[in-house]
Amino acid sequence: MTVELQPPPATAESATPAIRLEGVSHWYGNVVAVNKISFSVGPGITGLLGPNGAGKSTILHMIAGFLKPSSGSVEVLGSPAWQNQEMYHRIGLVPEREAVYPFLTGYEFVLLSAQLHKLPNAQEAARRAIRLVDMEQAQERRTGGYSKGMKQRMKLAAALVHDPPLLLLDEPFNGADPSQRLRMMALLREMAAAGRTIVFSSHILEEVERLSDNVLVIVAGRLAASGDFHAIRRLMTDHPHTFTLRSSDDRRLGAALIAEPSVVGVELMDSWLSVRTADFGAFTLAAPRVAHGSGITIFEILPADRSLESVFSYLVKR
Amino acid sequence: MNSTILALTLRQLLGKRRALFMIAIAALPVLVAVIFRLADAEMTPQRWTAEHLFKGLIVTIVLPLTTLVFGTTALGMEIEDGTIVYLLAKPLRRFDVILSKFTAAWLPAAALLALSTIVSTIIALGNDNSSILIGFTIAIVLGSLVYCCIFLALSVFTNHALIAGLIYVFLWEGVVTGLFTGTRYISVRQYTLGVADLIAETSRRTFRADIDGAPALVLMAIVGVAALVLAVRRLSRFEIRTNV
Repeated sequence: MTVELQPPPATAESATPAIRLEGVSHWYGNVVAVNKISFSVGPGITGLLGPNGAGKSTILHMIAGFLKPSSGSVEVLGSPAWQNQEMYHRIGLVPEREAVYPFLTGYEFVLLSAQLHKLPNAQEAARRAIRLVDMEQAQERRTGGYSKGMKQRMKLAAALVHDPPLLLLDEPFNGADPSQRLRMMALLREMAAAGRTIVFSSHILEEVERLSDNVLVIVAGRLAASGDFHAIRRLMTDHPHTFTLRSSDDRRLGAALIAEPSVVGVELMDSWLSVRTADFGAFTLAAPRVAHGSGITIFEILPADRSLESVFSYLVKR
Repeated sequence: MNSTILALTLRQLLGKRRALFMIAIAALPVLVAVIFRLADAEMTPQRWTAEHLFKGLIVTIVLPLTTLVFGTTALGMEIEDGTIVYLLAKPLRRFDVILSKFTAAWLPAAALLALSTIVSTIIALGNDNSSILIGFTIAIVLGSLVYCCIFLALSVFTNHALIAGLIYVFLWEGVVTGLFTGTRYISVRQYTLGVADLIAETSRRTFRADIDGAPALVLMAIVGVAALVLAVRRLSRFEIRTNV
C-alpha cells in the first residue's frame, strides 16, 4: 500500500512524552475501573493489552479527555487531557463503538471530520485520508451499509484526516477481516515510522505482538506489566500450561513425554492424556517429535488453559 | 455557530419517517379547523380559534410534542448511539455545539408550527382579524424557541429526556399549574399564551392569558438562556462512559 505520510512537525514538546499518566484511578460508583496507573508513552506503537473489562477503554477515554480521572493526572502532549478541546487539533481518535452516521456516505463522513477540524482544503484532505485506508471504491456508499471492518477503516480515515501526531485507537481491528487487518497494521506501522505516537487497545495477544514495540498489560484495572513485548511474551509463555492430547497410545506417549525437560507432569485420563508444561514453546516442538520417534499418532492436541485471562492472572500474581 | 453541525443535524432530524410524523402532527390543527368550518358551530370563530384551536390544541399539544421530538433528538440521539464522540473529539467550543444543535432543532419546529398556526387560523377565522393571526404566530414561534432550549438541555442531562419532557408538559404544565396558580410562572405554555394575549387584539371574553405579556416575554428570555447555559456547562463536563 502506498501512503503519503509526512513526519509530524517537531515541537518544543518533543522531549516530553506524548502521554503521561500519574497515579490515575477511575471508578464508576463503587466499581474501580482503573486503579493507580502510571505510565508514559512516546513515539511509536504502544499496545494496551488486556481481557475484556480490564479497563483499557477507560484508560483510552481518560487520555482522549472523555472521562475525568477520579484521582491522579492525565497529560497529553504536555497539557491536561480533561476539558482541553484544543488538544483535538493534534489527536486522532478511533472509538470502539461501531456507530457512524448511517445516512452519510463514507466520503461525507470523512469530509465532516475535515470540516469540523476547519481544514483549509477539507475535500482534498478527506480524499487523501480515504486513499490512506484504501476505501476509495466504497466512499460513495452510505456507511449504514458498510461491514464492521469497512466502518473501522472509514473511522480511521476520519481520525487521520487532519494528520495528527497522536493517534488513539480503541479495539481498531474488531470486525476487520485478515486482509483488512494486515493493511491497517501496515499503515499504522508506516505512521509510527514517520514519528507519530500511536496507542491502541486490544484483547488479542497476536494483534499486539504483530504491531507493538511497547506493551502495557492491563488486568483488573491495574498495570500488570509494561515494556518490550518480547520480554512480556516470555513471561507469559513461562507460565505453566496444561495440554490435553488424544493419540493412538496415550499411555506410551505419556511415558515418553515425562522424560522431556519441558514437561513437569503427566496424567492419564479415561480417554486422553493431560500434560503440564513449564515451557509452552519447547513443549509444542517436543510433543510431535517424541510422538513421531515412538511411532505414535497424535489425533488432537489442545491447550487446556491458554485463555488470555489465565495468562493475565499469572502475570498479576508475579 | 457551526454550519457543519447545523447541516448534519438537520439531515438527522429530517429523516423520512420523522419528517412524515411531524408533518402529520402539524396537520392536525388544519384538519380540526376545516371540520370547524364545515360544522354548524355555536361559538364565534374568534372565540373558537382562541380557546379551542390555539389554546386547547396548538399550544397544549402540538407545540410541546413537536419541540419535544426535535429538541430531545437533536443532541440526544447522538449521545444515545455514541456518535457524539465524533463531535466531542474535535477542537470545537461546546457553546458552538449547543447553539448549532439548538438552531437545528428550532428551525424545523418553528417552521412547521408557524405554518400550522397560520393555515389553521386562517381557515378557522376567515379573512378577518389579522392581529390574532400575527399574535398567535409570533407567540408560537417564541414558545417553540423556549421549549427547544429546555428539551435540548434535558437531553444533555438525562438519557430519558423524552420521558422527562412528557412529564413536564403533561403533568407539570397540564395538571400542577392548574392546581397551584403560582406555578404558572414556570410554564412555557403560560408564557406562550401571555405573549399571544399581548399581541393579538382580542376581547377579554374571547381570550385571556393567566400571565401578562411583558413578564411572559422576560421569563421566556430568562428560561431560554438559562437552559442553554446549563446545557453548555453540562456538555463541557460531559463524560463518555465505557462498559465496565
